[in-house]
Amino acid sequence: MNVDRGANEVELTIELNGRSRRAPIDPRALLIEALRDAFGATGAKIGCLNGDCGACTVMVDGQIVKSCLELAISAEGAAVRTIEGISGNGGLTPIQQAFWDLQGFQCGFCLSGMLFSAEDLLARNPNPTEAEIREAISGNLCRCTGYQHIVDAIAAVSRDDS
Amino acid sequence: MIPERFSYLAPSGPEEAVAALAAAGGSARILSGGTWLVPDMGRSAVRPTAVIDLRAAGLDLVEPVGERLRVGAACSYADLLASPALADKAPLLLKMAAGITGGRQIRVQGTIGGSACAARPSSDAPTALLGQGGEALIIGPGTERRLPLEDFFVGAERTALAADEMLTGFDLELHPGASWGYHKLKHSAGSWPIATAAARISTAEDGACSAAGLVLGGVGERPVRVDVATVLVGQPLEEGLLREAAELASSAVPEPYRDELASGEYRQAVAAPVALRALRDALLAGGVSAP
Repeated sequence: MNVDRGANEVELTIELNGRSRRAPIDPRALLIEALRDAFGATGAKIGCLNGDCGACTVMVDGQIVKSCLELAISAEGAAVRTIEGISGNGGLTPIQQAFWDLQGFQCGFCLSGMLFSAEDLLARNPNPTEAEIREAISGNLCRCTGYQHIVDAIAAVSRDDS
Repeated sequence: MIPERFSYLAPSGPEEAVAALAAAGGSARILSGGTWLVPDMGRSAVRPTAVIDLRAAGLDLVEPVGERLRVGAACSYADLLASPALADKAPLLLKMAAGITGGRQIRVQGTIGGSACAARPSSDAPTALLGQGGEALIIGPGTERRLPLEDFFVGAERTALAADEMLTGFDLELHPGASWGYHKLKHSAGSWPIATAAARISTAEDGACSAAGLVLGGVGERPVRVDVATVLVGQPLEEGLLREAAELASSAVPEPYRDELASGEYRQAVAAPVALRALRDALLAGGVSAP
């Protein structure tokens, strides 16, 4: 999609959590802003807007990204998964269940980003070491500093799968 | 929301991108991974009138070309990590890509060409690229040139690119048979490196060093070569010799870079130890027993 500098609004089409969606956005919007404000997917959070905290992590075309570092218009035609669509059946995914069981979150602000980083790790490496788990969430900050329970939860899922 | 308005174009090839760059008369910016440009635009640190997005420009390939390896400017670190050609021929870039700060997301989003063009002293890519050695591939309006990587990095956040030029990729030297080491000093998982070093060592059949190179990053405004070969070549590789070679790094940068993370004195003081660790890493990688 090419956008003229004078445009106040453009129509963005994405596949959001398996459904084709179309909404008007300001062409200056970041992907995180479009997801939250134009598409109503408010599970991904805005933290630092600098690519540091990972609270805005979502999946774009199968890869996890920090959606504050993406222009929304760059995502035209992309398949985006957010926390609202992380579970296909409306229940909890095994990773979500493990976070629930082991108190892998406190305030919950980092949670949706953490879940995507955990899912991405386990998809690539079903039996990670603790060091690999810590490395995998190194792009996600927990402002409650509750890392130990997060690491425990991801480790528990990997044990269940093995 | 980015405060300033800009036009947006996602060209299907580099020629179209360069034409758009020329049309904007110096006020356009190339968007590769966006990890620098997008937040910089968000705080109006840069205010381009046009953004030229390389996502569809076909610059994300890694392919052997003759004796060299061609790496597209828009290759993400994840692309590098997934490339069999890279794993086989350029393990230094693999080591660099695997350790990029910011988590898997930044490895997916950040690109090697974007980092080279940002030319931040503490970034990994400039050091690793110069450590690998080779040329930057640059196109302008109706022009095409190759520039040795030594000459591409000009200073902190400055490259040799003219306003109407863009980087399309790199032709990298391969040094068959060499062992590669990479080390960076940083003080927490999420913080910036303070000093980086990329080392290359080749050994002859008798175990003596036959070729060597070392590039030091973060200590100066741009990555610099340290002439470790003068100490290492022809000698059997042992700890004392590595220390002697690494010591050359401490005087490699007369006027060290300084920022909020570390003073110039600190950077100069850690240069030799960081260089030594990269040299040791290269020895270990080669299967040569560590001293």
